[in-house]
Amino acid sequence: MKYYERPTPLQEQANAEAIQHFAEHLKQFKANCDALHNIECNLPATANDAFRAALQSSGHIIQTDDGTQWQHAVDLTKITSVCHRRTAAGLEFAVVECLPLKSLEMKDVLNSGHDAREVLQAFAHDQRQVFKVWKDDMTAQVREYLEEKYPHQDMSIVVESFEIKLARDISRRETLAQNQSHGVRI
Amino acid sequence: MEAIQENKEPTTTPPAERLAYSVQEAADMLGINYFTMYRLIQRQKLKTCRVLRGKLLVPRTELLQLLQTDLR
Repeated sequence: MKYYERPTPLQEQANAEAIQHFAEHLKQFKANCDALHNIECNLPATANDAFRAALQSSGHIIQTDDGTQWQHAVDLTKITSVCHRRTAAGLEFAVVECLPLKSLEMKDVLNSGHDAREVLQAFAHDQRQVFKVWKDDMTAQVREYLEEKYPHQDMSIVVESFEIKLARDISRRETLAQNQSHGVRI
Repeated sequence: MEAIQENKEPTTTPPAERLAYSVQEAADMLGINYFTMYRLIQRQKLKTCRVLRGKLLVPRTELLQLLQTDLR
């Protein structure tokens, strides 16, 4: 069965059940897609803010797990921020993640470089790869859920519709961000 | 007899003793959201394995190792 064929009533029911079962997944997926979209849209302004903070040498000190010290410049998300430091080669920027694991905190440099804009672009690109891993895993989970719930029934149309929806969600936001960064009004 | 039955240990394996967890279960155990969990996987901070349908599983040993690394 192909995704463009009409679903049967049973497939429609399975689809509704899967949406309900994976509601938290879908909610978090969309929320994180939106957050990344915002970062991509504000990328030039964020890079400017980081550069300005670096020139003023402002921001509290963050020591990452590799032993390097950074100064906080701009928050990107609840756990990631753009930081800066002075090196012999000039100003350096990094996206630093402070990840609370229960009572502990892991502080990692995710991306770094001498151009704040390039660092942010690399960060956004890496985040997109995460969505692809998430999409593939979620599709596999939907397939497993339906195979267990509806054994011997063809539910491929439901799985495909999930996969297409997630892929479309990622690519739509990607296209929007690219267009906005090029000044195209949609 | 009833009292004996009431005191019986549960027959199913407790979740804490499983060998591997889904990404969501692992995220709940670590107290982080799903996206952060997938980010750790993508950055290979956490190794995963795939079961038949392609679903990711996080081995329990990987979770313990991550927390131990973090403690150092």
